[in-house]
Amino acid sequence: MGTPAPARSRAISLEVNGEAVEYEVPARRLLVHFIRDDLGLTGTHVGCDTGNCGACTVHVDGVSVKSCMLLAVQADGTRIATVEGLAADGELTALQRSFNEHHALQCGYCTPGMLMSATALLEQNPHPNEDEVRVALQGNICRCTGYVNIVEAVVAVGEGTS
Amino acid sequence: MLLREVDYARPATVEEAVSLLAAHEGARALAGGQTLVNVMKARAAAPDVLVDLVDLAELRTIGFSSDGLLEIGAMVTYTQLVGSSEVEVARPILAEVAATIADVQVRNRGTVGGNVCVSDPTNHLPPLLVVLDASFTIRGSGGERVVPADEFFVGVYMTAVGEGELLTKISVPPASDTGDGFSGVTIGKHGTYVVDAAATVSGEGARIAIGCVAATPVRATEMEERLAGGDFSEDAVREAAKGLGASLDPPSDVHGSADYRRSLAETSAVRAVLQAVERRKR
Amino acid sequence: MSTTTTTTPTVTEQQSTPTLEKGYIGQSIPRREDKRLVQGLGTFFDDMRRHGMGYVHFVRSPYGHAKIVSIDVSKALELDGVYGTITGDEVAIHTEPFFEMSVEPGANIKDYALAVGRVRHTGEPVAAVCAATRELARDAADLVEVEYDPLPVLVDAEESLKDETVLHDDAGSNVVWSGVFDWGDIDQALADADHVVKIERLHFHRFSSTPLECAGALVEYDKGTAEWTLHCNHQMPGVGAIWMAPALRTGIDKLRFVTQDIGGGFGNKICLHPQYVVLCLLARKLGRPVQWTEWRTDQHTANAHGNERTFLDIEVGVMADGTMTGFKVRALDDCGAFPRYEPLGCIIWAQVTPGLYGWRNIRVDFTQVCTNKSPVSPNRGYSRMQHLWLTERIADIVATELGIDPVEFRKKNYVKTEQMPYETPNGCVYDSGDYAAALDIALDLIDSGSIEDRRKEAAARGKLLGFGIGSTLDSGTNNFGQSTLLNPDLQFSGNNEAASVKLDIFGEVVVTLGTVPQGQGHETTAAQVVADILGCSPEQVNVRRGHDTWFNSHAGFSGTYASQFAFTGLGAVKGAAELVRAEMVQLAAAVLQAPEEAIELADGFARIKDGPEEAALPFMALGAIVNANNAFLPPDFNPTLNHRYVCRPYFGMVDTEKKTGQLTLTYATQIHAAVVEIDPETGVVDVVDYAAVDDCGIRINPQIVEGQVHGATTHALGAALSEEFVYDEEGTLLTSNFYDYHVPHALDMPPLKTGSMESPSPVAPLGAKGMGEGGGGGIHCVCAAIQDALGAAGKAIVYTSCNPPHRVWSMLQDPEATRANVSVVSK
Repeated sequence: MGTPAPARSRAISLEVNGEAVEYEVPARRLLVHFIRDDLGLTGTHVGCDTGNCGACTVHVDGVSVKSCMLLAVQADGTRIATVEGLAADGELTALQRSFNEHHALQCGYCTPGMLMSATALLEQNPHPNEDEVRVALQGNICRCTGYVNIVEAVVAVGEGTS
Repeated sequence: MLLREVDYARPATVEEAVSLLAAHEGARALAGGQTLVNVMKARAAAPDVLVDLVDLAELRTIGFSSDGLLEIGAMVTYTQLVGSSEVEVARPILAEVAATIADVQVRNRGTVGGNVCVSDPTNHLPPLLVVLDASFTIRGSGGERVVPADEFFVGVYMTAVGEGELLTKISVPPASDTGDGFSGVTIGKHGTYVVDAAATVSGEGARIAIGCVAATPVRATEMEERLAGGDFSEDAVREAAKGLGASLDPPSDVHGSADYRRSLAETSAVRAVLQAVERRKR
Repeated sequence: MSTTTTTTPTVTEQQSTPTLEKGYIGQSIPRREDKRLVQGLGTFFDDMRRHGMGYVHFVRSPYGHAKIVSIDVSKALELDGVYGTITGDEVAIHTEPFFEMSVEPGANIKDYALAVGRVRHTGEPVAAVCAATRELARDAADLVEVEYDPLPVLVDAEESLKDETVLHDDAGSNVVWSGVFDWGDIDQALADADHVVKIERLHFHRFSSTPLECAGALVEYDKGTAEWTLHCNHQMPGVGAIWMAPALRTGIDKLRFVTQDIGGGFGNKICLHPQYVVLCLLARKLGRPVQWTEWRTDQHTANAHGNERTFLDIEVGVMADGTMTGFKVRALDDCGAFPRYEPLGCIIWAQVTPGLYGWRNIRVDFTQVCTNKSPVSPNRGYSRMQHLWLTERIADIVATELGIDPVEFRKKNYVKTEQMPYETPNGCVYDSGDYAAALDIALDLIDSGSIEDRRKEAAARGKLLGFGIGSTLDSGTNNFGQSTLLNPDLQFSGNNEAASVKLDIFGEVVVTLGTVPQGQGHETTAAQVVADILGCSPEQVNVRRGHDTWFNSHAGFSGTYASQFAFTGLGAVKGAAELVRAEMVQLAAAVLQAPEEAIELADGFARIKDGPEEAALPFMALGAIVNANNAFLPPDFNPTLNHRYVCRPYFGMVDTEKKTGQLTLTYATQIHAAVVEIDPETGVVDVVDYAAVDDCGIRINPQIVEGQVHGATTHALGAALSEEFVYDEEGTLLTSNFYDYHVPHALDMPPLKTGSMESPSPVAPLGAKGMGEGGGGGIHCVCAAIQDALGAAGKAIVYTSCNPPHRVWSMLQDPEATRANVSVVSK
């Protein structure tokens, strides 16, 4: 097999929220636009154009990433999880319930990214303390809540009090 | 936010990657993409071809060379660095600094190779790797060469990696009777540095490098010379730093004047050295 | 561990007129909006698609100020997938300039949807391209060739005032509006004062709330009816339509605004009419739906900044006992390239003219100018925040210079609770509050008694510790009549808001709002109010998401802005629910053959009080009778169970001669206290302790109120320490993204302690005052705390509202440079 030739688009196959997806995408398309515009999963949001805000956070192979800092072609062969996959069976996760109970969202625009970052944290560290939560959420900007209730909501899940 | 058209290739081996980079003018290696994709979004850069290194597993390893150097593959992520037992044993400062780069999501994707090859003057790793006396292995179609840190960083966004070449690994001497320190001022916590300083202290003296004050890390050679005697008391370190700021020609921008950066350079250098001294005692 | 401590609410003895018992009102019930939002199932405008939709990208000016020599779109049109373009020349033909609110010279400014002939700020849209995909639209925009001829750039309001370069030739001057506000007798007060403290210059910087969702819309045009539908995130569509319809030469009924979920607004989504007009024109021209999503860099560069204001030649009269008697100031406001919502900012501040203080003599010489910067728009705490910062800076500088403890100084000068309701020198009425008591709560939360010990301990670590207070008012419910103090010809006065409540066929209670929430939880709080009135649970009340000017009840000032939902929004909900309630009681009385007085609405039933179990009608029965089974009702009894109510607060008329009047109705109080530590070698400021006390009267949902306090505090802390729109001499914005414009993230935030009081408003329908803007308390107290900390290192005066490390470092290097601004003349 020879060296692969560079191409303007690529047929990618990946798993999104547990479902197999195959798509021909332009090489320049960002993963976030692939998720939102091509797959119609509009829960993943765009809040900036420089990779700062984290509203577009999804999991790629179990790891949180900003989907505006990846090309869709880079996700070829990966497993992707978006916010829509959290309560796939219709049952809210403990974290989603905790966000509601602690008033951890106002406009709700940053919320999907926050949930994906916090979910990744809780998978690695089921009982994080406040400082660990703050470090884990540092890449997600919220302009409504001042993070107070978000941090409380995540800590509460770990403490089993939510 | 929207990139220009670009061609994409995903080589399976380093050889293929090198040949792709050599074959296409305007080709760029795509590592984690945490800088490159961003500048392409702004259309500040528009390579014709992206050579994605994602499948090159051999660039993702951390280990030791036969002569005991810590070897970090160019595609090792910051998160890998933070969690590596090899790094913890050999040179924990690398993990400590990596843990403050940007945020979790960026650390999950961003790579060591990308950080140094971008050679952004505000990046964390260049001054650190300079004081650690790291060496950089570069692969080209003609074979491999090794470049010391002092020669690796050439200018803003420019390194010793030439057209058609690929950085494959970074080798760092393990700590031995040394202490390392890193200090500076960021825009917000864990943000971009306004000025940073890295230092390593050993029986032979100190190596100190300042970031964000020039196109590439600046060695604080006079300060190093003054500390060569081995007196690392706080007074001696502060005295040694005097004049460091005046010797620099840093930029002025929205985050600080040149004078502010000169002052921060001295403060950061002192703090980095004192931190290194403290750690060397442990 | 919780970082939040809530003190036991202290209810003042203030008389109030709430007519409802607390049931669901007053409870922190979890929000109804959340379930969809935590699943990513919210609908924001950018989530919507239409068949054949085109994506719009704006071509923007790289210059701060330049003549447009030519625009050539031909190469863009040649690109496959491009649907069309529009330029300023077409806009000038097809639209009128937007209505200007100012008198001359500002009234003569011509503001079109795209630049016509000249660009006046970096990022100003000069053309727009529409294409099949986002990427193609961007590609095509790069192919539009624009030739510019650069002009001199004005980035400083004082330079603008000289009129050496004039931005708008039609106006002939850079001044948008100017006027003198003179209440009491400041000259006499200064002559009588024992001390006159003079401050030459203070500067309130440019920043904005930067809502995480940028602006945008999906616009459809119906050729048959000549009507546009805008699926958008405009937060004040009532006023947006007033701008847009005349510009588009159409009736206001031809513009339908629909909002669903909105990702934050904070005032920054009030001035979207220029871009929206371009979308309307493109949708009509191209015969297809078009959508535009603003990018973050564009929002920072060219959408909405907060007003920048310079305060000059301040003089404050102080008596020997520390009582401040008055002040005078020249205020110079920089509104950027176009006035848009301005010059309203030239009067909105007057809602809080004396701040929290008893000053009776105040003269403000106010001028607003254009510069080559982004236009401004209302921004959380709009115009009052700037003025309150001035009053708080004055309080701290005067106290420091006269050697008086800032806490005692404030308590001495605060308006006293016994004086409530308190009429200010310009005729506003502070409805209720106890500022000194709120301050005491803040002092307790922050353990102010230990400050001196903490200062010593910090000094031992090489840090400078400082303590500061920020006292603010959040004035709510605008009287639009205040606009006539700027321009007597304007036909605006009063305020109103609408809501509708109906009982549907299966007993569903359905509520529509005139307000346009962007995260404030209106679906929840409105349900709480309706549930209490109708006697059901909030779960039974369906408050429709978002706003639709065709189907929602709607009034001329509809929108969500200016801290007024608790008054007008919920006032309308309450009014409509009471109308429905009255009919439900009437109907139940008729059906159950009982007098109306015997009917109670409770637990989702209309029933006879203490009557037999079967003497009860479920809501479903009432809804079904009226809607589907009504033949037996007598001909003269025609209940609809469907009512609209407009809440029109009473203000009276303003006095345009004296410039007095009730400019707003409710005054929530915020007292903030901060402890900071400064690293003297680097200028880095760490907020190590922080308390925010809020008194907004009756809290419908305390958890939501507290959330607003957290958010407003965070905006203020960001503004105080890092968020700043900085321009270079060419008019290029240097902080156009979240790298350089640093907003606080989770690691930056200090632990926030909150406390609360409830001084019910005697004038609001539910005793609840508007709140949420917060008046910038965090900016004021951080400035005060920094100044306190610097007291031990040269006594610099904090002269600007934004103090990032490099600026603090400069103050430490040369404190005298700041001190030269301040002098005290004592008798």
